[in-house]
Amino acid sequence: MTLSSFFKAELLTLFRRKQSIFNALIFFVMVVTLFPLGVDPSPDFLAPAAGGIIWCAIALAILMSVESLFKEDYNDGSLEQWLVSGHSVSVLVLLKVFAQWLMVVIPLVLALPFLSKMLFLASELIPVMLVSVLVGSPALFLIGAIGAALTVSLRGGAVLMLLLILPLYIPVIIFATGAVRAAQLEMPFTGQLAILGAISLLALAISPLMAAISIKASVS
Amino acid sequence: MQAVTTLCVENLWLERGDRDLCRGLSFSLQGGQVARIIGENGAGKSSLLKYLVGTLSAVEGSVAFNGEDISAHRDVLIQDLLYIGHTPGVKSVFTVAENLKLYAPHSSNQELEYALTQVSLDAYWDTPAAQLSAGQKRRVALARLWLTQKPVWLLDEPFTALDVSGVEVLEQRIKDHVITGGIVVLTTHQPLHSLNPVTIELAS
Repeated sequence: MTLSSFFKAELLTLFRRKQSIFNALIFFVMVVTLFPLGVDPSPDFLAPAAGGIIWCAIALAILMSVESLFKEDYNDGSLEQWLVSGHSVSVLVLLKVFAQWLMVVIPLVLALPFLSKMLFLASELIPVMLVSVLVGSPALFLIGAIGAALTVSLRGGAVLMLLLILPLYIPVIIFATGAVRAAQLEMPFTGQLAILGAISLLALAISPLMAAISIKASVS
Repeated sequence: MQAVTTLCVENLWLERGDRDLCRGLSFSLQGGQVARIIGENGAGKSSLLKYLVGTLSAVEGSVAFNGEDISAHRDVLIQDLLYIGHTPGVKSVFTVAENLKLYAPHSSNQELEYALTQVSLDAYWDTPAAQLSAGQKRRVALARLWLTQKPVWLLDEPFTALDVSGVEVLEQRIKDHVITGGIVVLTTHQPLHSLNPVTIELAS
């Protein structure tokens, strides 16, 4: 197993299992679509709330897609093969998360302008929204990977994983919606985006190590 | 001239829960030997293999590979190791060929075909692994044995779910491997016909 054959195999797996990614995306679109119907469809309400609605839906959709990140690898014995592959498990985790991120975030980003328009988000704010998703979402995937690795050997670990992970998602959501809100009020928003980037970088440094330790503990 | 491969375990104490799987277990293997771990169900055969691989840690004891102590880090061994566990890492979303390519990316299609012919799966090249039987899935994992150059093989129940001819072919492959100086450690409950293994006994 080489790193490139591993990465290709991960992309192929995601492609063959596109149903689960599709589910997460449909979920995202449904939440954003149903929200105005349930609360208030007027532009006065939706325009200021758009950032929050979209980001909460994104966080939940990503949580859905990472929740069982390592489950299948655990069940079919692939995780054991990771440990004897001679590669650092952290690097394998990182590649897997990166593949997942690509396959989920690209369609998300494509759908984003339409959904933003639907919520009456001003056109000039859509780039801010996109940047906040691109900068903030890696943190959500990486933090989620720790939770998925910790609970991989547990039956019914999904709820435990939610409890572990959701509190760590809160800062990302706060700063991401903060950036969009600040842009709406024509205030500087680069600070919030920078903090989002910092959270993602911190997660990038810590998460592969933590997930690798959890995987080693789960497999033995 | 290649040095002889050796794998030595000394004074090993393995535990699961509060139960001792083995205590004071020592054995020494060198290139050309097949070792068979025997013991009842739950005696710790798979655990011993997992210890050798490094996914399970021991209470006490040391393991040396080619004379080098690898108790703390298995990196040196892992370079030279092929491990097929109880669940052999066959991905059900992949076809048979894709499964092999994941683990043997440098092998040509002819080599893959040869390996699959050996395990009589040559007609299943493009079949998704999800459609295979348990025995066929195991054969997919075992096909890696024809694609590898690694000297040390650790095989957890390799004969499970194989038919008579499959067992014969596998025994022959193991024989060929040890003749060229390899080490094979395996667990099985089935009688071995053509192999003459060193026995490692785990008493419960």
